Amino acid sequence: MNCEVAHERIVTAAYGELPDEQMHELERHIAGCQDCETEQQQLRALKMLLDADPVVEPPANLVARSRIRLEEALDALPPKGWFERFNLRMINNLAGLQAAPLAACLLLVAGAGAGCVGGYEFAQSRAAHAAASAAATLASEQAPSGPTEIANISGIVRQPNSEIVEVSYNQLVPHRIQGSLDDPGIRQLLMLASENSASAGVRDDSVGLMAAECRAGHGCQAAGIRDALMVALRYDKNASVRMKALKGLEPHVIEDVRVRDAVLEALLNDSDPRIRTEAIGVLQPVGADTSVRQVLHSIANTDRNPHIRTASMEVLSHMPEIQ
Amino acid sequence: MDGPNSRQERAQARAPEMELIREAQAGSRAAFDALVRQYEQQVLRLALHLTGSEQDAEDIYQEAFLKAYRYIGNFRFECSFYTWIYRIVTNLCLDQLRRRKTRREDHAVVLDRSGDEIDLLASVSDDRSFSNPAKELDRKVLGQRIQLALGKLTPRERMVFELKHYQGLRLRTIGEMLHTTEETAKNTLFRATKKLRAQLADSR
Repeated sequence: MNCEVAHERIVTAAYGELPDEQMHELERHIAGCQDCETEQQQLRALKMLLDADPVVEPPANLVARSRIRLEEALDALPPKGWFERFNLRMINNLAGLQAAPLAACLLLVAGAGAGCVGGYEFAQSRAAHAAASAAATLASEQAPSGPTEIANISGIVRQPNSEIVEVSYNQLVPHRIQGSLDDPGIRQLLMLASENSASAGVRDDSVGLMAAECRAGHGCQAAGIRDALMVALRYDKNASVRMKALKGLEPHVIEDVRVRDAVLEALLNDSDPRIRTEAIGVLQPVGADTSVRQVLHSIANTDRNPHIRTASMEVLSHMPEIQ
Repeated sequence: MDGPNSRQERAQARAPEMELIREAQAGSRAAFDALVRQYEQQVLRLALHLTGSEQDAEDIYQEAFLKAYRYIGNFRFECSFYTWIYRIVTNLCLDQLRRRKTRREDHAVVLDRSGDEIDLLASVSDDRSFSNPAKELDRKVLGQRIQLALGKLTPRERMVFELKHYQGLRLRTIGEMLHTTEETAKNTLFRATKKLRAQLADSR
């Protein structure tokens, strides 16, 4: 043993971690080596010296303080949800699986094998089915005559070992339909146009037509066109569309409370003064209604527009006559 | 200290402890609190001696147990819970030591221990030192020199030395805690003692 190794072992020995056989060897070396003996003594002296700065037990109030702080922090944490616990359990289970690599490998191989066989079978049956119906499919689905009809290609599948390719594409075909305004199909389209069309012009046209139908008394049922007009009055961004809807609803303000509410809302909230003015006119026949009077009072006092304030005051002043 | 008795006690406490860990992993706050009670004294003792500051020790305690709470689900019984929790604590302490080292190098501040530490030093002295102010002062100065010398070690050397010399852990356990081998821990301990001897050469 050379002195360098001995010095290291002296440290290990001083901390009681030197195996017995090495201990004897070290003792023999030190007995014959002045240098290493000094080393050992110096280390002992260091250990004694360091004991002047011993480890003390933490003060009780530090323990208590730390504990309280931790409890507060833990209380503030949201409780662990079932999902988190489930995740942990899954992770632990996976770790268990890692501990059994053979089982994990077998499972993987079995899974992959089953997947391959299943996939192959499925592909085979699909190919057979596709081949059988290919002619019929081609006959029934006309191939596009030009690229302009195709909106996009959604998928391309080549059948194995053949020249046959299956292309899935979407077509955007404009349609046109003509019919009477009383036709439910046409009405459905009009209602759709009043809500969904991006173009204000289209909405204007559809609402205008529906309003005319309502005024003319042509099947303005509560569940159909009338609802569409109320939606347009409440939510359409375009003032002209809202105005047309309001006019269409006018005949129903007396019999339908919902229409009355929609018109009152327009009177209170609509940003366009022309629509608010028109709403006052529309509401005149139902001026006896308490809610209408309340709204008219509030409008007479608070509306930004002086003409509207005057108009509602006028309606209120004529109220006794109307009654 | 990690004497044979405390090790034996830990071995005896292991079975119910495993139960507590499982319950804590299933989300039981009471089980986790019981684990905290079991280890808080050791955690604070280590952090307090390493940092020499109650505030730092308290912060390390807080952070360590919050981490343990958050990640207890990842504990897989591959090592003892004691090693696992110590691993968290030693990492936090190492961070703290590294931060402090940078600060000290920046400002050349010498770690000065005050008030309480005089009592701490007196507690190992014999009775006569209380009646001998000169000797008491000597001890205070000596304590400061020891702290200064310990402060000169790298954070890792300081940690290995702390765990071995002051906390009495086995080198193998220290290696496990610090994610290294027993051999590396042994070499680090050797380097640390060498440096300390050089630092404290004229104190003896």
